[in-house]
Amino acid sequence: MFADVLNRRRLARDPVDGWSVTTLILSLLLIGPFAAIVVTATGDSGGLWSHLMATVFPRYVANTLWLMLGVGVLSLLFGIVTAWIVARFTFPGSKILEWTLLLPATVPAYIIAYTYTDLLEYAGPVQVFLRDMFGWSSAHDYWFPEIRSMGGAILVMASVLYPYIYLMARTAFRLTPASYFEVARLNNRNLPFTVDLPLARPAIIAGLALVLMEVLSDFGTVEFFAVETLTLGIFNVWLGMNNLTAAAQIAGMAFIFILALVIIERRARRRQRFNNTSGRATTLPAVRVSGGKAALCIVLCLLPIILGFVIPVGVLLSFVVKGLAITNVDALLSATVNSLTTSLIAALAVMTIATVMILVTHYQKHPVLKALTTISALGYAFPGAILAIGVVFFAGGVDQVAASLGASNGILIGSVGLLILAYVVRFQAVGHGAITSGVNRLSPNIMSASFVLGRSFTSSMAVLAPPLLRKSLMAGGILVFVDVMKELPMTLLLRPFNYETLSTYVYQFAKDELLEESALAALTIIIAGLGPVILINASQRNKI
Amino acid sequence: MRMFENCKERLNPIVLTAGLIAGVLSAPVQSKELNIYSHRQAFLLNPLLEGFKKQTGTKINIVFASKGLIQRLIAEGPRSPADIILTVDIARLQQYANKGLFTSVSSPTLKANIPAHLRNPNGLWYGLSKRVRVVAVSKDRVGKDEIKRLEDLADPRWKGKICTRKGSHVYNRALLASLVAAHGEATAEKWARGMVANLARKPQGNDRAQAKAISQGICDIAIMNHYYYFQMKKNKNPAQHKWAESIRIVFTNQGDRGNHVNISGIGLAKHSKNKKLAITLMEYLSSKQAQSLYAEVNYEYPANAAVDASREVKILGEFRADQLPIATIAKLAPTAQRIIDRVGW
Repeated sequence: MFADVLNRRRLARDPVDGWSVTTLILSLLLIGPFAAIVVTATGDSGGLWSHLMATVFPRYVANTLWLMLGVGVLSLLFGIVTAWIVARFTFPGSKILEWTLLLPATVPAYIIAYTYTDLLEYAGPVQVFLRDMFGWSSAHDYWFPEIRSMGGAILVMASVLYPYIYLMARTAFRLTPASYFEVARLNNRNLPFTVDLPLARPAIIAGLALVLMEVLSDFGTVEFFAVETLTLGIFNVWLGMNNLTAAAQIAGMAFIFILALVIIERRARRRQRFNNTSGRATTLPAVRVSGGKAALCIVLCLLPIILGFVIPVGVLLSFVVKGLAITNVDALLSATVNSLTTSLIAALAVMTIATVMILVTHYQKHPVLKALTTISALGYAFPGAILAIGVVFFAGGVDQVAASLGASNGILIGSVGLLILAYVVRFQAVGHGAITSGVNRLSPNIMSASFVLGRSFTSSMAVLAPPLLRKSLMAGGILVFVDVMKELPMTLLLRPFNYETLSTYVYQFAKDELLEESALAALTIIIAGLGPVILINASQRNKI
Repeated sequence: MRMFENCKERLNPIVLTAGLIAGVLSAPVQSKELNIYSHRQAFLLNPLLEGFKKQTGTKINIVFASKGLIQRLIAEGPRSPADIILTVDIARLQQYANKGLFTSVSSPTLKANIPAHLRNPNGLWYGLSKRVRVVAVSKDRVGKDEIKRLEDLADPRWKGKICTRKGSHVYNRALLASLVAAHGEATAEKWARGMVANLARKPQGNDRAQAKAISQGICDIAIMNHYYYFQMKKNKNPAQHKWAESIRIVFTNQGDRGNHVNISGIGLAKHSKNKKLAITLMEYLSSKQAQSLYAEVNYEYPANAAVDASREVKILGEFRADQLPIATIAKLAPTAQRIIDRVGW
């Protein structure tokens, strides 16, 4: 009865339709490029499938699954352990570790792959040192793990991707109400496994989903390490056999696979609620630890930072110090400005769009809109270059319409606006994950209370969303920002004339494995990512 | 961006900022401007364009990307701003032609400068430089005439001695296509299988990385494009000089069909709004002045027969190039890729 009254009241006073239509249009805009890929995939693949099935396809699928499993497990370990330590304990250096744990997110995967190879291959300093020390003279005298391998790819990818899980899990751990722990303690239960992890599950899954989609769509690292995944297959079919149709079909299958994972996970926790109905004041304070425990905490937190940040940055710095880097200040400066501008705009756009779409679908519970919103956040599962093709075909359609309306040169292709649209399409997943886990934690009573007080849906959203979702907005915002800073294949293809970002600047050298020469630009990508990471982390800590 | 505007007022600041930037960057086109879509990096392209810019006062705009420029051009259709397309291999050049994205150019200058087997018979594209895919062998561990033909790499005596980058790389695919042209698909596949069985390690890295592997003793024989040898010699990093010093360049098949050659090339975009000026640029790039820059700056062999290779490159001596019409390589590339998939190169 009461709910009925609420509903009627809301319907009577609210421009609900306006918001639903907005969400519908946004989701269609975001799904447009996927649709372009689907249309591409419906062509005739020229009987290529029997060839693919008989030769490379099973291997590509198996490798992709192993890579997803390996990176998934390792980044969960890195991300959850460090987030839990940072959220539950204070120890000397914990404040610093808290934000340094985010730093690996600023390192592009293709750069970390390069630096690790430089370090660990036969001619690298590590093996040279070992040979000098033990008097070995050739590769036949000893065994050393091959870095250009599945294991190497798992290690370096997990080292830079775990921050997605860390950041989301940390936010969730921090917001877990103390009352839950009190109950668990009274029942003599293991706290992390009965309270922390189950309650943080939506956040952890959101982070994991991003990691897995990134693994599925990665090209740079797997190509460098010669790990044959589906993405490599997509490019061989597209560029080697001139068959974009079959390439789009493979990409579409990978996309459906991700969609299936999302649906399965969602089903599994359909009956669960993760709302936090208590106030903020009652979250668990961090416990001060010292001595051996503190040392253990520090070591566990330092490990992923060393692997994902200190080592690659050290290698890049050594290139710069040795004078191997090209220092063209003007070019670097304009590339930096371009990178920062687009990253900032894209981060704002993604977070705004994600917030609107999720609030509308969460509180208005329209099944079709909800499905569209979910699908529109899966752009991350496509390899960047394939998604870029989808975006360019979609934009071509828009431009054609615009041309018929009088804008004869088109409005999208070749503009920075198209780049921003492409970033939003690709990184919507990040914003979606962050906001969803934030909204799941909100008590439904808050919105209801707001309605009872006579506020419309619009003003409830405007008043309540920013303060209540602030942490999620910030967390998602940082991740989108650093992701756009690192993004390469879409920027490369869709950019305007004479337009360089830091990542395209790095790529022109890295393409010929001349990363030494672009080491300074690569470092700039990382440094430019540091500022926002530190600032936003600081704001994350402040109580509202 | 206009689409955002319709749907939501709160996005306005974003739309405005993005629109502003877009507006500034796509400022009105001046008359003396040419737009290039390039598969060659801008920093490698600019030295070749300097002379033209000075002589004609033309402003040249470049977008460089390695994948998908064909699709961008298709999506832009008649609205495309592109005037010129530059690629670094024949397969992609031919693809633009196949999709009808080039328009034919019949310029006496271009015809005089570029030999017939390095251009499209209908003038849809012209080769600008030759890139010779040679075999690099260890100076110390492989005797002078032990490798003479590409076919020798499948000889079981080289088991565990060969390094290459992945077969599906466009350079290797083109090389295999030249073998398909010479011997037919079955024999080419047998060769590929034998060569893969001789590999010292799983295919990885780029051409430079193969020379590095030889200098480290991981393998004795590699396949690479000739100009990397000189780029390594001139690199700022002294380690690369050692890689170059450890290898000897072998031109293959000198007694029969000649060494496989790929080209970088150029075509005129069908919807170019500046065709006349664009053709002037194409002619300039085939001229002695620009062709000697190809030779000097990138160590490639000029396509213009009247222009010599650079002094450095000449130390490799004269060689016989495969005279197969270059378009055949492009046609056989998909067949080559299927072989690569079957043998796991």
